[in-house]
Amino acid sequence: MLFAHGFGCDQTMWRHVVPSFESSHKVVAFDYIGAGGSNPNAYDPDKYSTLGGYAEDVVRIGKELDIRDGIFVGHSVSAMIGALATIQEPEMFSTLIMVSPSPRYIDDEDYIGGFSSDDIEELLASLDDNPLAWSAALAPAIVANADRPEHGQELTESFCKLDPKIASGFARATFTSDSRADLPKITARTLVLQCKEDIIAPEHVGEYVRDQIPNSKLVMLDATGHCPNLTAPDQVIAAIRDFV
Amino acid sequence: MPDRPELSPAPPSFQNTPCGHLVHDDRGIILETNNRLHGWLAMSASELDGTPVIGLLSKASRVVYETSFVPMLALNGKVDGASLDLIAKDGSKVPVLLSAETTGSGKECRTTIAFLLADARRAFERDLAKARAEAEAQLLLTQREGKLREQFVAILGHDLLNPVASISSSVGMLARESLSETGQEIVELTQGSVKRMSLLIHNILDFARNRLGGGIELNMSDEAVLETEVRQVVNELRAANTDREIQLDISLQGKVRCDGPRVGQLLSNLLGNALTYGDPEHPIFVSLNTTDEGAFELGVRNAGAPIPPSAMERLFDPFMRSTNHGDQMGLGLGLYIASEIAKAHGGKLEVSSNDDWTTFTLVVPPGGIDGQTDSGQGETAIGGA
Repeated sequence: MLFAHGFGCDQTMWRHVVPSFESSHKVVAFDYIGAGGSNPNAYDPDKYSTLGGYAEDVVRIGKELDIRDGIFVGHSVSAMIGALATIQEPEMFSTLIMVSPSPRYIDDEDYIGGFSSDDIEELLASLDDNPLAWSAALAPAIVANADRPEHGQELTESFCKLDPKIASGFARATFTSDSRADLPKITARTLVLQCKEDIIAPEHVGEYVRDQIPNSKLVMLDATGHCPNLTAPDQVIAAIRDFV
Repeated sequence: MPDRPELSPAPPSFQNTPCGHLVHDDRGIILETNNRLHGWLAMSASELDGTPVIGLLSKASRVVYETSFVPMLALNGKVDGASLDLIAKDGSKVPVLLSAETTGSGKECRTTIAFLLADARRAFERDLAKARAEAEAQLLLTQREGKLREQFVAILGHDLLNPVASISSSVGMLARESLSETGQEIVELTQGSVKRMSLLIHNILDFARNRLGGGIELNMSDEAVLETEVRQVVNELRAANTDREIQLDISLQGKVRCDGPRVGQLLSNLLGNALTYGDPEHPIFVSLNTTDEGAFELGVRNAGAPIPPSAMERLFDPFMRSTNHGDQMGLGLGLYIASEIAKAHGGKLEVSSNDDWTTFTLVVPPGGIDGQTDSGQGETAIGGA
């Protein structure tokens, strides 16, 4: 069972959920490049300019761990990264859990992603434009750890550790992505977990995802916002248990 | 002593604190806001209370809020100094710094947020980023220009070598003719000048090559070549400075591996300095010897005013010239090149200077030049040029 975090945070996102599956499954959580304890020197702006580069890393982790018939649990953009990975290696992940997924954030004709391209440009510009604020505001763990490198590896000391430059690239890859055409190609059994009042992945987007994936089911959680794995972990755990 | 004011048992009012203030519940619904925030947003308490806090944010800030702010708050219980944009009633952006803290759990969970206006700081950060980008661009340009200049110097130096060589051989031929005493003197002076010119050009070429990333190339030879080179350099400088006394003492035991002509170039530089800066009333002592440990040393010692301590530090930096001496001799590359030649040999150039003597000594430890080959392939890259 492989847990993948979304944009804006690292694997600590899963800390309330992962322990519940440790007795029944072999559980692995990881940090994408630029997040948590990953090595920022391995960053390649070209490779990571699209979600495909991140999916490549998931497949490499799967191969390294020799995962077969595994369960991929992806939050937010990771749901789509997991989709790309399982399309590429259907035997690696036979079950896909998508928590608050969105295949496209920008509106497109009849499709309502919730954002205009101007909104997204503004977001990306604000991240590019204001790296100091970004790093001070959203990566205080990095700032704190600069003085105390010995804490860098300690999970309890770091929350949502991000490299500001890489995070900015991840934001671009995430919010300009369009994975709609990939959804029908998913052969894995798929569970979509959806919250209410999620401005990033609204309810109708969750329904769209369910409708496009052949073998899929949607569960509506009694939670609001975009991060049920943090705000309503018990519901997330129960829904995943039911499904697997 | 004045009466101590009674502590109010009621919760403190934030209505008039000089920062924006807001409390929301476990579902992000606003429970309380203060005057400062109302003023910034041009909205009243009744318009704000009961609405979702995310509605106060710009669209870009909502994404950051949901993907980073909320997770950090959930994981850590607090967030310090996040930078987001609020949206006022008229749609204008209000850049703020905010810190938040969460208390209680479940339905009783309350989050308190304090806001500070950040437009000036945001502008300052943008200016900083812009200044940095400009400085980086300027640096790149300067580096590119510097490289071009060094290439130019390298080419110029190389092109100068040929005419200098031809003057040198012409004067050499002239010296073999029967000349008047004055003619003989002129030929000797010219030979000295040509030698010095050639050394300067070689120094410049080595400097440019170093800067362009090449190293000082060594063609290893033995002690016989070294001795010949040292004698030749001393004799040349004696001939060009007949009014000066240069004493030479050679005592080599066993084998020495080095690039003879390069060590000759080093000696030329050291001896040139000694002639320029040393006291002309005293002889200059040149010694070449091996030590019991198998190292070899080449020393040049002169009497005269000591090198001031302030100059010591940067003595081997390129383009360092004595400031207390009417030195019209060179570019200040001599000691730099000499020390680079020492480094290329795995050795070093030591200096000591007191009221009596100034001594420069090349020390090459045994095995200091391991890994070098006779073919000249063993190029030593020199850093820090």
